[in-house]
Amino acid sequence: MGQGEFNISIKDLSIGFRQGKSISILRENINYSAIHGEMVALIGSNGVGKSTLLRSLAGFNEYFEGDFFLNGQPFNNYSSQERARLISFVSTEIVKVANLTVYDLVSYGRFPYTNWFGKNTEKDREIILSAIESVGMNGFIQKPINQISDGERQRAMIARALAQDTPIIFLDEPTAFLDVSNKYEIFHLLQVLAKEKNKTIVLSTHDLNIALREVDKFWILLENETFEGSPEDSVLNGNFEKLFSNKHIGFDHYEGEYFFKKDFREKVKIVGEGIPLNWTLRAFNRLGYQIVMETKSDFEVKVIQNEKTTIWELKLHDKTIVFQSIYDMLLFLQHK
Amino acid sequence: MQNTDHKNHSFFILILLGIIVIVFFILDLLLGSVTIPFSKIYSALFHPEISDTAATILRDFRLPKALTAIVTGAALSVSGLQMQTVFRNPLAGPYVLGISAGASLGVALFVLGFSSVFISGIFSATGAWSLALIAWLGAFAVMMLVLYVSTKVNDIMTLLILGILFTAATGAIVSILQYFSNESMLKAFIIWTMGSLGSVTKSQLLILLPAVILGIFLAFLKMKALNAFLLGENYARSLGVNIIGSRLIIFLSTSLLAGTITAFCGPIGFIGIAVPHIARVFFRTADHMILLPATILIGSALMLFSDIVSQLPGMQTTLPVNSVTALIGIPVIIWMIVKNKRFQSV
Repeated sequence: MGQGEFNISIKDLSIGFRQGKSISILRENINYSAIHGEMVALIGSNGVGKSTLLRSLAGFNEYFEGDFFLNGQPFNNYSSQERARLISFVSTEIVKVANLTVYDLVSYGRFPYTNWFGKNTEKDREIILSAIESVGMNGFIQKPINQISDGERQRAMIARALAQDTPIIFLDEPTAFLDVSNKYEIFHLLQVLAKEKNKTIVLSTHDLNIALREVDKFWILLENETFEGSPEDSVLNGNFEKLFSNKHIGFDHYEGEYFFKKDFREKVKIVGEGIPLNWTLRAFNRLGYQIVMETKSDFEVKVIQNEKTTIWELKLHDKTIVFQSIYDMLLFLQHK
Repeated sequence: MQNTDHKNHSFFILILLGIIVIVFFILDLLLGSVTIPFSKIYSALFHPEISDTAATILRDFRLPKALTAIVTGAALSVSGLQMQTVFRNPLAGPYVLGISAGASLGVALFVLGFSSVFISGIFSATGAWSLALIAWLGAFAVMMLVLYVSTKVNDIMTLLILGILFTAATGAIVSILQYFSNESMLKAFIIWTMGSLGSVTKSQLLILLPAVILGIFLAFLKMKALNAFLLGENYARSLGVNIIGSRLIIFLSTSLLAGTITAFCGPIGFIGIAVPHIARVFFRTADHMILLPATILIGSALMLFSDIVSQLPGMQTTLPVNSVTALIGIPVIIWMIVKNKRFQSV
């Protein structure tokens, strides 16, 4: 454990719901911590309580046992006004409001600091513009938020959280609706913000491959236990793999990727080099062929890279067939 | 900065709307079954010693009616705006909480039930007051119920559904009352549901006016919360807005505005739903700092215009104002949907 000052410390927390007079506990004995400048991914399977936990930490839901400390003070000691200056929240919900410009949206982040009718001072305006700049949305200041893409809107929501100027930002599945490149960009943006602005950023996510590469810490939420640690430590000590209780999902410790386990089909020996070889291997992996190096195989594939094109030579029962694409070769093998 | 241009532009349109309201107000005083020349207005309003027919018509009938039109337009539009924002639903209006249903139940009980026992004239001087009072009591009872439930229920959509169910339930009771009432009572009730600006007397304005001013004041007080509610309650909460408290004041404002207007003028449809949308199209903003004054002015102008049309200049009869607001407003809204395609969200 480092010497840094802990911003967040969660001790034996129980989360759940209150329905009338009865309380149903969803998870208990949750223990996590995070410090400033750290980006944390809260991971766990669907329905395990990630959203409920984040909502409890943001003060939307109550928690029932244990406590949650912000800089050593129990969360419940802070008033809702004080909380608004400590924690900002970005939800997974897509906010569409007619005529609401990116600037106006981000300016709402200043509400905890402005007077009763929400007038922004010159300093507020500077903070709003710098928040918009931080997320790279300069060209969109006067655009209505229902006329920009989902990725851009998510950036605008993050800018709003930045304008709120809180040491902690919670994000509930901020990349859920985004395409792959936008997912990477949002993760990277959050990582940069955590480091440059020294914030504690906690997000829940199912994009494990990206999280493995970008975040500083995992909060792993399982049915009965919780773990935390760097992504690398979590992989090495096996905690990360506990996410895949399903016997069909495996985790490749070398590649740092999880995959769907399949029953092996025929054996294939593949020769070649470079990037084409790599993707040819992936293709056969995907279809569940067993890839062998030395032992006798059912057939052999040679990846031949010319100057411009790549061709695949398939040797099957003393016949040699040449294919122009992986797709054609796989199609042939499946229907042979 | 980039925002100043837009602000100046909005300010300019607000001034223009203010001028339109004044023009319509004067026209509403001039036009009617008897056309009164402009010069008479001045003398009637500023020289109380003059008491010819024109002055009497102006002072006792047209002025209260024109003022009622302004107050009604402003009140219904502001409460409609508040409900659309709080429920984040473009179809919400002043009556979603069941306020007009409560008022109409009160009136129905009075006109159809109570009065059939004590058949004494409900159109007498005290009758007008008791009708308004009973409608206000009905609206107030619903308002109390809604305010109580709103502090207990966390989910805003539950409140919306409860409002709809309550409206349906009161509608059913009103139908039963109608079924068992006699013809003249039924007619009195139906006429009340058609809405009327002309039945408000000068002394009633003394209640109407402060109630509406207080309601609009409460709306301005919660301007920041209204802006935050646009993003949904979770975001509002995370911005430090006291959800239950703000909602309580916004509902109180809506009940005060819509409840009082319905009590005195009957349930006037369309204005409360349409005006906020017209304001959004004119001002291209979601900011309640602009939308609140905008809906007040547009609502007043539209209500004055409806009143001018409803009294059919040069003819002896007046049309029910409820039909006029619908017939004028609905084409406007359809035109806006087709032209702007901007009706899809709040």
